[in-house]
Amino acid sequence: MVDFVRYIGSLTLDVIREMGRLFLFLWEVLRSVPTPPYRWGNFLKQVHFIGIRSLFVIALTAVFTGMVLALQGYYTLSRFGSEALLGPAVALSIIRELGPVLSGLMVTGRAGSALTAELGIMRIREQIDALDVMGISPLKFLVTPRIEAGLLAVPLLTVLFDVIGVWGGYLVAVRLLGMSGGTYFGGIESAVGMHDIVTGLIKSLCFGLIVTWICTYKGYFTRRGAEGVSQATTSAVVMSSVLILICDYFITSIML
Amino acid sequence: MSRPGSSDEPSRSARAEGFPLSLGDQLVANGCVTPRQLDLALQRQRAGTGGTHEAHLVGRTLVEMGCITQSALLQCLYHQFALERDAYTVDETVRPVIRMERVVKILDNRRVLDAVDLSIPANRVTAIIGMSGGGKSVTLKHMVGLMKPDQGTVWVGEEALGRLSSRELTRVRGRFSLLFQGGALFDSMNVFDNVAFPLREKTGLAEAEIRLRVMRCLEEVNLVGMERKYPDELSGGMMKRAALARALVTNPEILLLDEPTAGLDPIIENAIHYLICDTFMRTRYTMVVISHAVPEIFNWCHHVIVLHRGKVLFSGPSREVVTSRDPVIRQFIRGDLDGPIQVI
Repeated sequence: MVDFVRYIGSLTLDVIREMGRLFLFLWEVLRSVPTPPYRWGNFLKQVHFIGIRSLFVIALTAVFTGMVLALQGYYTLSRFGSEALLGPAVALSIIRELGPVLSGLMVTGRAGSALTAELGIMRIREQIDALDVMGISPLKFLVTPRIEAGLLAVPLLTVLFDVIGVWGGYLVAVRLLGMSGGTYFGGIESAVGMHDIVTGLIKSLCFGLIVTWICTYKGYFTRRGAEGVSQATTSAVVMSSVLILICDYFITSIML
Repeated sequence: MSRPGSSDEPSRSARAEGFPLSLGDQLVANGCVTPRQLDLALQRQRAGTGGTHEAHLVGRTLVEMGCITQSALLQCLYHQFALERDAYTVDETVRPVIRMERVVKILDNRRVLDAVDLSIPANRVTAIIGMSGGGKSVTLKHMVGLMKPDQGTVWVGEEALGRLSSRELTRVRGRFSLLFQGGALFDSMNVFDNVAFPLREKTGLAEAEIRLRVMRCLEEVNLVGMERKYPDELSGGMMKRAALARALVTNPEILLLDEPTAGLDPIIENAIHYLICDTFMRTRYTMVVISHAVPEIFNWCHHVIVLHRGKVLFSGPSREVVTSRDPVIRQFIRGDLDGPIQVI
């Protein structure tokens, strides 16, 4: 019994310590943002890596998400004779929830894991120490541009997800199920407001921060060789994904 | 006798106290080249660089002119180095460039450094030797502020690293270059960009000047032609030399080398030792070398520090360590299985 209590206590302390380190890490990164030098090349490279190179997977996820929503929604709504509400149902689901969440999760899987692995390998090969010895802040050089890029790329990817997702719903609803295009888009126009779009964008901004923050943190503090990199990568993906879902709930409950 | 380059422009070699002869003068004094050949080499350097020259690179020019072969040049430099090494004594009155006072470091509940006191003499080559896990790399990381001691103080010149702000620490680190055990070259950059990196990031030099400096450093480590290769395309020896070029490009005062010959075959190991000697003779940087190449390393350093189980067992001239009567040191140098260190 004593051992169990000790174990719980030790676990709690570890979690608190880890959270403290996480927030200190973020604080150091945020502090470094306004200080020169500004490495625009580095930033654009990361925007390309996180944003441009995630386009295909985002587009693919978005189109099938829109299609399956339309398919499921149509058969559900048709039971109540409310097929006309399919457009708003698909659009609101995507813009408010699925767009930001799935974009965040896809970026975590595609780019976040790579960020952790890259920084982890740099850590175990002493390249991060080498930067320190050269008098170059590794946080400013490696982490800040990645977080800034995440804050820009994930909202843009979410907007893209929303557009393609709604279009995917259109393909199924109008082309496959024979619904009128005017009904589909007309419903969207009347039901979707600026508040919905802003909610989605705020979520995507938070998810962009979560993905890049957690993944760079895990990579930056990787230890114990190749096994450590693998553990850090797994842990980063799991933690980012779970935090995205938890954060999604709280933002939704605040902004409803 | 006054020669161009030996007095009108201070070379890096002339900068160090107690080394009044330039590299060219040393080569002449050792009978490796004639005064006439040296004059011609210095004139050629001047002509090639628009009136300015660096006396420490005169050896290269002499090789290019065919006055001396590369290996003969290295042998000649080593001969001069050996004379200095044998004459070296610890001078207590001279302030060391790095000092560690009662430094304690505990990692994973193990006392890796246990009240370590050591001094690194300026403008000399110091070797730190000892068993694996004896605290050598941790010591090196303390010297450059990558690790902070749990107790004790690390001094670089007159400055205690633990009391410095991060900005001041960055300034002090500007005096150092560190060659990491694995090279720590950036995988995403080729050799040229790796070597150019500290110049691009830390100096406002024009790209043309950076190119000149990088190529000169690559020439010094015999890596010309390899500048477009990526680290994963290099052999172990090339990787170490590229990392050495990156360490040298910023003209540091203090060069720290963490096992520069680890994992290399004996010929490459010897070549790296010659390269370190060549670099020292040309630049007179303070060098600290961690090495397992015992007893060979005693030929290549003035001063030796033996670390064992986090404590300094010996600190003194390299010629004295080989005659030490300490059983641990004797066993370590001979590589005996029997003795106070039990590994099997």
